[in-house]
Amino acid sequence: MTHTLKYFFSFCFMLSLFLAQAQDTDTIQRKKMDEVIPEAPKPITKKLPEEKKNDTIVKTDRYGFRVGVDLYKLTRALYDKDYKGLELVGDYRLTKKYFLAAEVGNENKTTDDDRLNTTTKGSYLKVGFDYNGYENWLDMENIISIGMRYGVSTFSQQLNTYKIYNANPYFGEVPVITSGNKYNGLTASWIEVVAGVKAKVFNNVFMGFSLRLNRLVTNKEPDNFKNLYIPGFNRTYDGDFGVGFNYTVTYFIPFYKKKVTPKKVEIKKEDQKK
Amino acid sequence: MKKIILLAFALALSFSSCEKDDICDANTATTPRLVITFYDITNPAVLKNVTNLKVVGAGMTDGIIFNTSATGESKYLTSGNAISIPLKTNEDTTSYNFTLNSGNANPALVNEDNIKFDYTRADIFVSRACGFKTLFTLNTSNPYTHTDAAVPDEKWIQYISVEKSNIDNENDTHLKIFF
Repeated sequence: MTHTLKYFFSFCFMLSLFLAQAQDTDTIQRKKMDEVIPEAPKPITKKLPEEKKNDTIVKTDRYGFRVGVDLYKLTRALYDKDYKGLELVGDYRLTKKYFLAAEVGNENKTTDDDRLNTTTKGSYLKVGFDYNGYENWLDMENIISIGMRYGVSTFSQQLNTYKIYNANPYFGEVPVITSGNKYNGLTASWIEVVAGVKAKVFNNVFMGFSLRLNRLVTNKEPDNFKNLYIPGFNRTYDGDFGVGFNYTVTYFIPFYKKKVTPKKVEIKKEDQKK
Repeated sequence: MKKIILLAFALALSFSSCEKDDICDANTATTPRLVITFYDITNPAVLKNVTNLKVVGAGMTDGIIFNTSATGESKYLTSGNAISIPLKTNEDTTSYNFTLNSGNANPALVNEDNIKFDYTRADIFVSRACGFKTLFTLNTSNPYTHTDAAVPDEKWIQYISVEKSNIDNENDTHLKIFF
Protein backbone atom coordinates (compact mmCIF):
# COMPACT_ATOMS: atom_id res chain seq x y z
CA MET A 1 0.00 0.00 0.00
CA THR A 2 2.86 2.33 0.79
CA HIS A 3 4.19 1.81 -2.68
CA THR A 4 0.84 2.22 -4.38
CA LEU A 5 0.15 5.43 -2.48
CA LYS A 6 3.53 6.78 -3.44
CA TYR A 7 2.75 5.75 -7.00
CA PHE A 8 -0.57 7.65 -6.81
CA PHE A 9 0.99 10.84 -5.69
CA SER A 10 3.89 10.84 -8.07
CA PHE A 11 1.43 10.06 -10.83
CA CYS A 12 -0.87 12.87 -9.78
CA PHE A 13 1.99 15.27 -9.77
CA MET A 14 2.92 14.24 -13.25
CA LEU A 15 -0.64 14.85 -14.35
CA SER A 16 -0.73 18.15 -12.54
CA LEU A 17 2.05 19.34 -14.82
CA PHE A 18 -0.12 18.62 -17.84
CA LEU A 19 -2.87 20.52 -16.13
CA ALA A 20 -0.72 23.60 -15.98
CA GLN A 21 0.17 23.23 -19.62
CA ALA A 22 -3.45 22.95 -20.60
CA GLN A 23 -4.15 26.26 -18.97
CA ASP A 24 -1.22 27.89 -20.64
CA THR A 25 -2.64 27.06 -24.05
CA ASP A 26 -5.92 28.64 -22.94
CA THR A 27 -4.21 31.90 -22.33
CA ILE A 28 -2.65 31.71 -25.77
CA GLN A 29 -6.07 31.25 -27.25
CA ARG A 30 -7.29 34.16 -25.22
CA LYS A 31 -4.56 36.30 -26.61
CA LYS A 32 -5.49 35.21 -30.09
CA MET A 33 -9.04 36.27 -29.47
CA ASP A 34 -7.90 39.56 -28.06
CA GLU A 35 -5.85 40.06 -31.15
CA VAL A 36 -8.82 39.41 -33.39
CA ILE A 37 -11.04 41.88 -31.58
CA PRO A 38 -8.84 44.95 -31.86
CA GLU A 39 -8.46 44.34 -35.57
CA ALA A 40 -12.15 44.57 -36.16
CA PRO A 41 -12.87 48.05 -34.72
CA LYS A 42 -10.41 49.75 -37.09
CA PRO A 43 -12.65 49.79 -40.20
CA ILE A 44 -15.82 50.30 -38.16
CA THR A 45 -16.12 53.48 -36.21
CA LYS A 46 -18.81 52.45 -33.73
CA LYS A 47 -18.27 49.94 -31.06
CA LEU A 48 -21.85 48.79 -30.55
CA PRO A 49 -22.39 46.84 -33.78
CA GLU A 50 -19.06 45.20 -33.16
CA GLU A 51 -20.37 43.73 -29.94
CA LYS A 52 -23.42 42.46 -31.73
CA LYS A 53 -21.23 40.67 -34.20
CA ASN A 54 -19.56 38.90 -31.34
CA ASP A 55 -22.94 37.84 -30.09
CA THR A 56 -23.85 36.24 -33.37
CA ILE A 57 -21.27 33.51 -32.70
CA VAL A 58 -23.69 31.20 -30.95
CA LYS A 59 -22.06 29.19 -28.26
CA THR A 60 -23.83 26.09 -27.13
CA ASP A 61 -23.26 23.76 -24.22
CA ARG A 62 -23.86 20.09 -24.71
CA TYR A 63 -25.80 18.21 -22.09
CA GLY A 64 -25.77 14.50 -21.67
CA PHE A 65 -24.50 11.44 -19.99
CA ARG A 66 -20.86 10.50 -19.58
CA VAL A 67 -19.94 6.91 -18.83
CA GLY A 68 -16.58 5.23 -18.40
CA VAL A 69 -14.20 3.09 -16.45
CA ASP A 70 -11.39 3.54 -13.94
CA LEU A 71 -8.23 2.48 -15.77
CA TYR A 72 -6.18 2.22 -12.61
CA LYS A 73 -8.37 -0.48 -11.08
CA LEU A 74 -8.78 -2.22 -14.40
CA THR A 75 -5.08 -2.47 -15.17
CA ARG A 76 -3.89 -3.13 -11.64
CA ALA A 77 -4.82 -6.80 -11.94
CA LEU A 78 -2.17 -7.12 -14.65
CA TYR A 79 0.73 -6.45 -12.31
CA ASP A 80 -0.75 -7.09 -8.87
CA LYS A 81 -1.84 -10.67 -8.39
CA ASP A 82 -3.45 -9.77 -5.05
CA TYR A 83 -5.91 -7.37 -6.62
CA LYS A 84 -8.95 -7.59 -8.84
CA GLY A 85 -11.21 -4.63 -9.29
CA LEU A 86 -13.51 -2.73 -11.58
CA GLU A 87 -15.01 0.70 -11.25
CA LEU A 88 -17.56 2.18 -13.62
CA VAL A 89 -18.02 5.92 -13.48
CA GLY A 90 -20.78 8.08 -14.83
CA ASP A 91 -22.07 11.61 -14.66
CA TYR A 92 -25.01 13.55 -15.98
CA ARG A 93 -24.90 17.27 -16.62
CA LEU A 94 -27.67 18.91 -14.66
CA THR A 95 -26.91 22.59 -15.15
CA LYS A 96 -24.11 24.59 -16.68
CA LYS A 97 -21.80 23.86 -13.78
CA TYR A 98 -23.32 21.00 -11.84
CA PHE A 99 -22.99 17.33 -12.70
CA LEU A 100 -24.70 14.44 -11.01
CA ALA A 101 -21.93 11.90 -10.56
CA ALA A 102 -21.70 8.29 -9.48
CA GLU A 103 -19.22 5.45 -9.25
CA VAL A 104 -19.99 1.80 -8.84
CA GLY A 105 -17.39 -0.86 -8.35
CA ASN A 106 -16.26 -4.20 -7.09
CA GLU A 107 -12.97 -5.10 -5.46
CA ASN A 108 -11.18 -8.23 -4.34
CA LYS A 109 -7.97 -7.37 -2.54
CA THR A 110 -5.55 -9.37 -0.46
CA THR A 111 -3.52 -7.19 1.89
CA ASP A 112 -0.30 -8.52 3.31
CA ASP A 113 0.70 -6.60 6.42
CA ASP A 114 3.62 -7.54 8.65
CA ARG A 115 1.44 -9.43 11.09
CA LEU A 116 -1.80 -9.94 9.19
CA ASN A 117 -2.87 -11.23 5.82
CA THR A 118 -6.46 -10.43 4.91
CA THR A 119 -8.68 -10.67 1.86
CA THR A 120 -11.46 -8.15 1.35
CA LYS A 121 -14.20 -8.69 -1.21
CA GLY A 122 -17.11 -6.43 -1.87
CA SER A 123 -18.99 -3.85 -3.89
CA TYR A 124 -19.61 -0.19 -3.48
CA LEU A 125 -21.67 2.68 -4.81
CA LYS A 126 -20.87 6.36 -4.58
CA VAL A 127 -23.36 9.06 -5.54
CA GLY A 128 -22.91 12.80 -5.45
CA PHE A 129 -22.20 15.86 -7.52
CA ASP A 130 -19.35 17.66 -9.23
CA TYR A 131 -19.10 21.40 -9.60
CA ASN A 132 -17.13 22.52 -12.63
CA GLY A 133 -15.12 25.56 -11.73
CA TYR A 134 -13.42 25.83 -15.10
CA GLU A 135 -14.54 28.46 -17.59
CA ASN A 136 -14.39 26.88 -21.04
CA TRP A 137 -13.69 28.88 -24.18
CA LEU A 138 -15.48 28.34 -27.46
CA ASP A 139 -16.52 24.72 -27.76
CA MET A 140 -14.11 23.33 -25.19
CA GLU A 141 -15.64 21.00 -22.67
CA ASN A 142 -12.92 20.49 -20.08
CA ILE A 143 -13.72 20.12 -16.44
CA ILE A 144 -11.83 21.04 -13.31
CA SER A 145 -14.23 20.10 -10.62
CA ILE A 146 -14.70 19.81 -6.94
CA GLY A 147 -17.46 17.64 -5.64
CA MET A 148 -18.81 15.39 -2.98
CA ARG A 149 -19.95 11.81 -2.82
CA TYR A 150 -21.70 9.61 -0.35
CA GLY A 151 -20.35 6.10 -0.57
CA VAL A 152 -21.73 2.82 0.70
CA SER A 153 -20.03 -0.53 0.62
CA THR A 154 -21.02 -4.04 1.49
CA PHE A 155 -18.20 -6.53 1.81
CA SER A 156 -16.63 -9.48 3.55
CA GLN A 157 -13.23 -9.89 5.13
CA GLN A 158 -11.26 -13.07 5.50
CA LEU A 159 -8.38 -13.31 7.94
CA ASN A 160 -5.93 -15.63 6.20
CA THR A 161 -3.00 -15.64 8.58
CA TYR A 162 -1.91 -13.72 11.66
CA LYS A 163 0.92 -13.42 14.14
CA ILE A 164 0.75 -13.11 17.89
CA TYR A 165 2.56 -10.07 19.23
CA ASN A 166 4.61 -11.12 22.20
CA ALA A 167 6.91 -8.52 23.69
CA ASN A 168 8.68 -11.28 25.64
CA PRO A 169 9.47 -14.05 23.18
CA TYR A 170 11.22 -16.25 25.74
CA PHE A 171 9.99 -19.43 24.09
CA GLY A 172 10.92 -18.10 20.66
CA GLU A 173 8.83 -16.41 18.01
CA VAL A 174 5.64 -18.34 17.36
CA PRO A 175 5.15 -19.17 13.67
CA VAL A 176 2.39 -17.58 11.61
CA ILE A 177 -1.05 -18.91 12.52
CA THR A 178 -3.43 -19.84 9.72
CA SER A 179 -6.91 -18.68 10.55
CA GLY A 180 -9.31 -18.59 7.59
CA ASN A 181 -11.95 -16.82 9.70
CA LYS A 182 -14.43 -15.12 7.40
CA TYR A 183 -16.44 -12.11 8.47
CA ASN A 184 -19.49 -11.62 6.29
CA GLY A 185 -22.15 -8.93 6.08
CA LEU A 186 -19.89 -5.99 6.83
CA THR A 187 -20.99 -2.54 5.74
CA ALA A 188 -19.54 0.95 5.77
CA SER A 189 -20.53 4.36 4.50
CA TRP A 190 -18.52 7.51 4.07
CA ILE A 191 -18.36 11.00 2.64
CA GLU A 192 -15.82 11.90 -0.02
CA VAL A 193 -14.51 15.25 -1.14
CA VAL A 194 -13.45 14.92 -4.74
CA ALA A 195 -11.10 17.12 -6.72
CA GLY A 196 -11.02 16.09 -10.34
CA VAL A 197 -9.98 16.98 -13.83
CA LYS A 198 -11.48 15.79 -17.10
CA ALA A 199 -10.10 16.72 -20.49
CA LYS A 200 -11.63 16.01 -23.88
CA VAL A 201 -9.01 14.10 -25.84
CA PHE A 202 -11.00 13.63 -29.05
CA ASN A 203 -14.62 13.68 -30.15
CA ASN A 204 -16.60 12.55 -27.15
CA VAL A 205 -13.81 10.78 -25.31
CA PHE A 206 -12.59 12.26 -22.04
CA MET A 207 -9.70 11.34 -19.80
CA GLY A 208 -9.65 12.37 -16.22
CA PHE A 209 -8.37 11.75 -12.78
CA SER A 210 -9.61 12.57 -9.34
CA LEU A 211 -8.26 12.69 -5.82
CA ARG A 212 -10.51 11.87 -2.94
CA LEU A 213 -10.45 12.44 0.78
CA ASN A 214 -12.78 10.13 2.59
CA ARG A 215 -14.28 10.21 6.05
CA LEU A 216 -16.14 7.27 7.49
CA VAL A 217 -19.68 7.88 8.67
CA THR A 218 -20.69 4.35 9.62
CA ASN A 219 -18.55 1.26 9.90
CA LYS A 220 -19.91 -2.09 10.95
CA GLU A 221 -16.92 -4.05 12.20
CA PRO A 222 -16.66 -7.71 13.11
CA ASP A 223 -16.06 -8.95 16.65
CA ASN A 224 -12.38 -9.30 17.48
CA PHE A 225 -11.31 -7.80 14.16
CA LYS A 226 -11.29 -4.54 12.28
CA ASN A 227 -12.16 -3.41 8.76
CA LEU A 228 -8.64 -2.93 7.45
CA TYR A 229 -9.74 -2.32 3.88
CA ILE A 230 -13.13 -1.19 2.63
CA PRO A 231 -13.93 -1.50 -1.09
CA GLY A 232 -14.29 2.00 -2.50
CA PHE A 233 -12.93 3.62 0.64
CA ASN A 234 -9.56 1.87 0.45
CA ARG A 235 -7.24 1.31 3.39
CA THR A 236 -8.46 2.44 6.76
CA TYR A 237 -6.29 4.33 9.20
CA ASP A 238 -6.50 4.74 12.94
CA GLY A 239 -8.77 7.73 12.46
CA ASP A 240 -11.84 7.83 10.23
CA PHE A 241 -10.02 9.27 7.24
CA GLY A 242 -8.90 7.69 4.03
CA VAL A 243 -7.71 8.61 0.57
CA GLY A 244 -8.73 7.57 -2.89
CA PHE A 245 -7.81 8.08 -6.47
CA ASN A 246 -9.07 7.16 -9.88
CA TYR A 247 -7.94 7.59 -13.45
CA THR A 248 -10.77 7.39 -15.91
CA VAL A 249 -11.61 7.17 -19.56
CA THR A 250 -15.16 8.24 -20.30
CA TYR A 251 -17.40 8.57 -23.30
CA PHE A 252 -19.86 11.42 -23.56
CA ILE A 253 -23.29 10.72 -24.99
CA PRO A 254 -24.91 14.07 -25.84
CA PHE A 255 -28.65 14.35 -25.28
CA TYR A 256 -29.39 18.00 -26.17
CA LYS A 257 -27.74 21.39 -26.59
CA LYS A 258 -28.38 24.62 -24.76
CA LYS A 259 -27.48 28.08 -25.96
CA VAL A 260 -25.21 29.96 -23.67
CA THR A 261 -27.08 32.58 -21.67
CA PRO A 262 -26.41 36.35 -22.03
CA LYS A 263 -24.50 36.20 -18.79
CA LYS A 264 -21.65 34.94 -20.90
CA VAL A 265 -21.58 38.24 -22.86
CA GLU A 266 -21.02 40.22 -19.68
CA ILE A 267 -18.02 38.12 -18.92
CA LYS A 268 -16.69 38.79 -22.40
CA LYS A 269 -17.08 42.52 -21.87
CA GLU A 270 -15.03 42.33 -18.73
CA ASP A 271 -12.36 40.47 -20.59
CA GLN A 272 -12.27 43.09 -23.29
CA LYS A 273 -11.74 45.82 -20.74
CA LYS A 274 -8.74 43.98 -19.51
CA MET B 1 -10.03 26.72 -8.31
CA LYS B 2 -6.30 26.23 -8.69
CA LYS B 3 -5.90 26.93 -5.00
CA ILE B 4 -8.45 24.32 -4.08
CA ILE B 5 -6.70 21.69 -6.16
CA LEU B 6 -3.36 22.68 -4.70
CA LEU B 7 -4.86 22.33 -1.26
CA ALA B 8 -6.19 18.91 -2.15
CA PHE B 9 -2.74 17.86 -3.27
CA ALA B 10 -1.16 19.10 -0.08
CA LEU B 11 -3.80 17.35 2.00
CA ALA B 12 -3.37 14.13 0.07
CA LEU B 13 0.38 14.34 0.55
CA SER B 14 0.00 14.83 4.27
CA PHE B 15 -1.66 11.42 4.35
CA SER B 16 1.54 9.78 3.18
CA SER B 17 2.96 10.55 6.60
CA CYS B 18 0.16 8.50 8.17
CA GLU B 19 1.71 5.38 6.70
CA LYS B 20 3.83 4.77 9.77
CA ASP B 21 1.08 3.14 11.77
CA ASP B 22 2.72 -0.05 10.57
CA ILE B 23 4.98 -0.16 13.62
CA CYS B 24 3.57 -1.61 16.79
CA ASP B 25 3.86 0.92 19.60
CA ALA B 26 5.79 -0.46 22.57
CA ASN B 27 3.17 0.97 24.94
CA THR B 28 0.39 -1.07 23.39
CA ALA B 29 -0.95 -3.74 25.70
CA THR B 30 -0.07 -6.97 23.96
CA THR B 31 0.39 -10.55 25.18
CA PRO B 32 0.60 -10.31 28.99
CA ARG B 33 2.94 -12.22 31.26
CA LEU B 34 2.01 -14.10 34.41
CA VAL B 35 2.71 -11.86 37.39
CA ILE B 36 3.84 -13.70 40.52
CA THR B 37 4.50 -12.08 43.90
CA PHE B 38 6.23 -13.73 46.82
CA TYR B 39 4.91 -13.69 50.40
CA ASP B 40 6.13 -14.86 53.77
CA ILE B 41 4.45 -18.11 54.84
CA THR B 42 4.79 -17.19 58.51
CA ASN B 43 3.27 -13.80 57.97
CA PRO B 44 1.07 -14.13 54.85
CA ALA B 45 0.31 -10.42 54.53
CA VAL B 46 3.96 -9.46 54.18
CA LEU B 47 5.90 -9.54 50.93
CA LYS B 48 9.11 -11.52 51.10
CA ASN B 49 12.10 -11.20 48.83
CA VAL B 50 13.49 -14.32 47.22
CA THR B 51 17.22 -14.82 47.08
CA ASN B 52 18.87 -15.45 43.73
CA LEU B 53 15.82 -17.03 42.14
CA LYS B 54 16.36 -18.45 38.70
CA VAL B 55 13.37 -19.37 36.53
CA VAL B 56 13.91 -21.66 33.56
CA GLY B 57 11.21 -22.86 31.21
CA ALA B 58 10.96 -26.58 30.59
CA GLY B 59 13.16 -27.51 27.66
CA MET B 60 15.02 -24.20 27.76
CA THR B 61 18.69 -23.85 28.58
CA ASP B 62 18.77 -20.18 29.61
CA GLY B 63 16.66 -18.70 32.35
CA ILE B 64 14.34 -15.74 32.05
CA ILE B 65 16.36 -12.55 32.08
CA PHE B 66 15.36 -10.52 35.13
CA ASN B 67 18.29 -8.15 35.20
CA THR B 68 19.01 -6.81 31.74
CA SER B 69 21.90 -4.63 32.87
CA ALA B 70 23.87 -7.49 34.44
CA THR B 71 26.20 -9.78 32.57
CA GLY B 72 26.83 -13.49 32.81
CA GLU B 73 24.83 -15.76 35.06
CA SER B 74 23.61 -12.98 37.33
CA LYS B 75 21.23 -11.57 34.71
CA TYR B 76 19.01 -14.62 35.19
CA LEU B 77 18.77 -14.07 38.95
CA THR B 78 16.33 -11.98 40.91
CA SER B 79 16.13 -11.10 44.56
CA GLY B 80 12.94 -9.11 44.44
CA ASN B 81 9.43 -9.99 45.56
CA ALA B 82 7.70 -10.07 42.19
CA ILE B 83 8.41 -11.60 38.80
CA SER B 84 6.65 -11.69 35.45
CA ILE B 85 7.03 -14.79 33.34
CA PRO B 86 5.73 -15.41 29.82
CA LEU B 87 3.37 -18.26 29.01
CA LYS B 88 3.48 -20.20 25.76
CA THR B 89 1.09 -18.71 23.22
CA ASN B 90 0.92 -21.86 21.11
CA GLU B 91 0.34 -24.45 23.87
CA ASP B 92 -2.10 -24.79 26.75
CA THR B 93 0.56 -25.66 29.32
CA THR B 94 3.81 -24.05 30.33
CA SER B 95 6.22 -25.60 32.82
CA TYR B 96 8.81 -23.68 34.79
CA ASN B 97 11.61 -24.64 37.07
CA PHE B 98 12.05 -22.27 40.04
CA THR B 99 15.49 -22.52 41.64
CA LEU B 100 16.10 -20.69 44.90
CA ASN B 101 19.66 -19.68 45.85
CA SER B 102 20.76 -20.56 42.34
CA GLY B 103 24.52 -20.72 41.93
CA ASN B 104 25.10 -20.80 45.69
CA ALA B 105 28.38 -22.41 46.73
CA ASN B 106 26.58 -24.46 49.36
CA PRO B 107 24.57 -27.13 47.46
CA ALA B 108 22.33 -27.71 50.49
CA LEU B 109 20.84 -24.24 50.06
CA VAL B 110 20.04 -24.66 46.35
CA ASN B 111 16.43 -25.77 46.06
CA GLU B 112 14.51 -26.57 42.89
CA ASP B 113 10.72 -26.75 42.41
CA ASN B 114 8.67 -27.29 39.27
CA ILE B 115 5.35 -25.64 38.51
CA LYS B 116 3.24 -26.53 35.49
CA PHE B 117 0.56 -24.02 34.53
CA ASP B 118 -2.58 -25.15 32.71
CA TYR B 119 -4.72 -22.60 30.97
CA THR B 120 -6.91 -21.82 27.98
CA ARG B 121 -6.01 -19.19 25.38
CA ALA B 122 -7.83 -16.59 23.36
CA ASP B 123 -6.28 -14.65 20.48
CA ILE B 124 -7.51 -11.06 20.55
CA PHE B 125 -7.10 -8.57 17.74
CA VAL B 126 -5.01 -5.55 18.68
CA SER B 127 -4.28 -3.53 15.55
CA ARG B 128 -2.95 -3.70 12.02
CA ALA B 129 0.60 -3.10 13.23
CA CYS B 130 0.55 -5.32 16.31
CA GLY B 131 -1.55 -8.15 14.95
CA PHE B 132 -3.06 -10.29 17.67
CA LYS B 133 -2.32 -10.84 21.35
CA THR B 134 -2.98 -13.94 23.43
CA LEU B 135 -4.90 -13.74 26.69
CA PHE B 136 -4.84 -16.64 29.13
CA THR B 137 -7.30 -18.07 31.61
CA LEU B 138 -5.90 -20.42 34.21
CA ASN B 139 -7.96 -23.60 34.56
CA THR B 140 -10.36 -23.42 37.48
CA SER B 141 -9.88 -27.01 38.69
CA ASN B 142 -6.14 -27.44 38.17
CA PRO B 143 -4.56 -24.08 37.44
CA TYR B 144 -1.09 -25.37 38.38
CA THR B 145 0.77 -28.54 39.32
CA HIS B 146 3.52 -28.10 41.87
CA THR B 147 6.16 -30.84 41.96
CA ASP B 148 9.59 -31.29 43.41
CA ALA B 149 12.67 -31.34 41.23
CA ALA B 150 13.95 -34.46 39.51
CA VAL B 151 16.59 -34.70 42.19
CA PRO B 152 14.36 -34.69 45.29
CA ASP B 153 14.99 -31.92 47.74
CA GLU B 154 12.28 -30.51 49.92
CA LYS B 155 9.88 -28.14 48.16
CA TRP B 156 10.76 -24.58 49.03
CA ILE B 157 7.37 -23.26 47.91
CA GLN B 158 4.91 -23.87 50.73
CA TYR B 159 1.70 -22.62 49.20
CA ILE B 160 0.42 -21.19 45.91
CA SER B 161 -2.69 -19.09 45.65
CA VAL B 162 -4.35 -17.99 42.42
CA GLU B 163 -5.42 -14.36 42.79
CA LYS B 164 -6.64 -13.77 39.27
CA SER B 165 -7.24 -16.56 36.83
CA ASN B 166 -7.82 -14.18 33.90
CA ILE B 167 -4.45 -13.08 32.64
CA ASP B 168 -5.34 -10.14 30.42
CA ASN B 169 -2.87 -7.55 31.65
CA GLU B 170 0.23 -7.19 33.79
CA ASN B 171 -1.19 -4.65 36.21
CA ASP B 172 -2.29 -7.10 38.91
CA THR B 173 -0.80 -10.09 40.64
CA HIS B 174 -2.13 -13.29 39.18
CA LEU B 175 -0.41 -15.71 41.50
CA LYS B 176 0.90 -15.52 45.07
CA ILE B 177 3.68 -17.82 46.17
CA PHE B 178 4.25 -18.31 49.91
CA PHE B 179 7.53 -19.66 51.22
